[in-house]
Amino acid sequence: MNRRVLWIVGAAVVLTALLVWVLLGPARTRAPSDLVEFSPPPTATPAPEQRVMLLFGGADGLLHPELRNVPLPAEVHERVRVVVNEVLAGPSGRLAPVVPWTAELHAVFVDGRGNAFIDLTPPPKPLTGSHTELMLAYGLVDTILLNCPELNAVQILLGGREIATLTGHLDLSRPLVLNKRFIAS
Amino acid sequence: MRKHVVVSFLLALCAGWLPAQESLHTIEFHYAGRAVLSPTLGTQVEVMPVLALIGADAGYSAAAGTYIVTFGDHELQFTPGHRMVLADGVLLDTRDAPVASPGGVAASVDFIDRSLLGPLGFRLEPIPQGYRIAIGARFADPVIVRPAAADFAATTTLVLTLDRPVAARPEPAPGGGIVIRFDDASPRLEPDARLRSRRVRSLASTGHDLVIETAAGVGLLSWHDLADPPRVILELGNAPPTPTPAAVRVVERTGPPPIVIDPGHGGDDNGAVASNGLSERDLTLAVARRLADELRARGHAVRLTRNADEARALSDRTALANRLEAVLFVSLHANASTFSSVTGAETYYMSLDDQATDEAAAATARLENEANGGASSRSDLDLILWDLAQASALNESAKLAVAVQSRLNELLGMRDRGVKQAPFVVLTGATMPAILVEVGFLSNPSEASRLARPEHQQELARAIATGIDAFLQGS
Repeated sequence: MNRRVLWIVGAAVVLTALLVWVLLGPARTRAPSDLVEFSPPPTATPAPEQRVMLLFGGADGLLHPELRNVPLPAEVHERVRVVVNEVLAGPSGRLAPVVPWTAELHAVFVDGRGNAFIDLTPPPKPLTGSHTELMLAYGLVDTILLNCPELNAVQILLGGREIATLTGHLDLSRPLVLNKRFIAS
Repeated sequence: MRKHVVVSFLLALCAGWLPAQESLHTIEFHYAGRAVLSPTLGTQVEVMPVLALIGADAGYSAAAGTYIVTFGDHELQFTPGHRMVLADGVLLDTRDAPVASPGGVAASVDFIDRSLLGPLGFRLEPIPQGYRIAIGARFADPVIVRPAAADFAATTTLVLTLDRPVAARPEPAPGGGIVIRFDDASPRLEPDARLRSRRVRSLASTGHDLVIETAAGVGLLSWHDLADPPRVILELGNAPPTPTPAAVRVVERTGPPPIVIDPGHGGDDNGAVASNGLSERDLTLAVARRLADELRARGHAVRLTRNADEARALSDRTALANRLEAVLFVSLHANASTFSSVTGAETYYMSLDDQATDEAAAATARLENEANGGASSRSDLDLILWDLAQASALNESAKLAVAVQSRLNELLGMRDRGVKQAPFVVLTGATMPAILVEVGFLSNPSEASRLARPEHQQELARAIATGIDAFLQGS
């Protein structure tokens, strides 16, 4: 009986050791017929500093430019992200933010027709007023298009979703083109 | 007996462990005689080895955080952490999101199958070792549909241009309208597609069908398809009466064409709310009722899109004006700004951004001409007339906006914020002169107090009515 117990315990120890060796030891040896190599994505390369024009709200209810020097990458997705993040960071002077909540830029897409799609954190509570909507939409859209001339239009997405409108006025279900009517002359 | 139990336990332990150890760390993907081991992170699988296996080029914009995958004519873009893929210019909602991983990006097998391989024309099939990548999307390849319409006197030509040749079969829908069935494709409307037509209310894609909602009494007269580029062309017009009328409440006009006034917001949608408690929803209804009385006193027929505190979809408001063949459409709103100093009234009409729509619709007749082997005099004439009608509608809206805004400025001495253009939802699709009037800023306390006074609301109504009168009299 004792020998049998010892035999069982011994077998369990051997199997446990084997299990540990397989799990934590060298990787499996059975290779597929052709292993495709892959590597982690590269890190961003530093970009030269350039002057960008950012649009923010003025006390007259129009958009006003603020010039700022920022590292501006040549690649369009990266440039859109830099420009939008500068807008989301807010103005440095007396102007007002065009995005009136603490928003983050989640994603940037650019299709083959020059339409950019930017996905922002949705507002924590509903916004109101066509003016609020116009300042937000064209503050972002015009800023992007003025700094990324290869783009034709920009569609704003919120929380990973297309939106029909933000405050019930402006049609945001499609990319918006440059509209300088709301920029102070 | 005890020995058997112990041995069985050990055997079960071994049996469970041996196959499990592979799936814990890697999954095999096979394609065209090659295979790759893709590491797993829980339920997520490294994506890059799978894309490399089929020969797709995957790029990564490090600063933007966007992956760009190209394969043949296809292009995908996605970002770790977000449930969205841009596939050939079309945004797709996904069931879950890819995640950043040691190899760049990892995703669920379902995401890889549906959202990455599917749009590239592949599907995953389970095999004992993992998955085989097969050619042909499990979920029928999308076909992008670009609609354009041209209204003629008695008919509308609807041209649906497809991004690739697929079989399409239009037929009358059971509840009215038309449904186009695509057997081997999922139709998707072009993202920035816009349509303006008296006889087509809306287009929507569901599964393998494209559903066309038509105006009351409008049906499919005929259709044909063309190649280079692939198109489905439908002739719409007054359909023969059906034996079972659709169970839809149709608003019929009695009397002369009315002026349609649209009090903005309503129901659960308050719109802007002033610090004095005045809501845009209540203010616009109050001004709209006064404006209606003022216009009736001047001999005009008037209809309101809502005459109580009730919700109305934006598209329903314009649709009502279209169904009633309204003389003009005036949507009333009150504004709000993050700057409390901003005051004044402003009037909007539809943006010239819609020119693209008009051009697309104008291209309809051009395509028809080309399909017929040349320009016929009838089509040329219709195209010219249609162009003129579209330009005229925009010009008329601009004139109406100027007439109303100038009266608001003159009569009220309000700060002139001017006439502007923007793509407002409620003005989209209006087939008559259409404007949106912002009567003032509720975010400015003194202007909000003024807007709350019945006398001021009456003055606003009188100013807008005078502007409308001036426009209708052509002065």
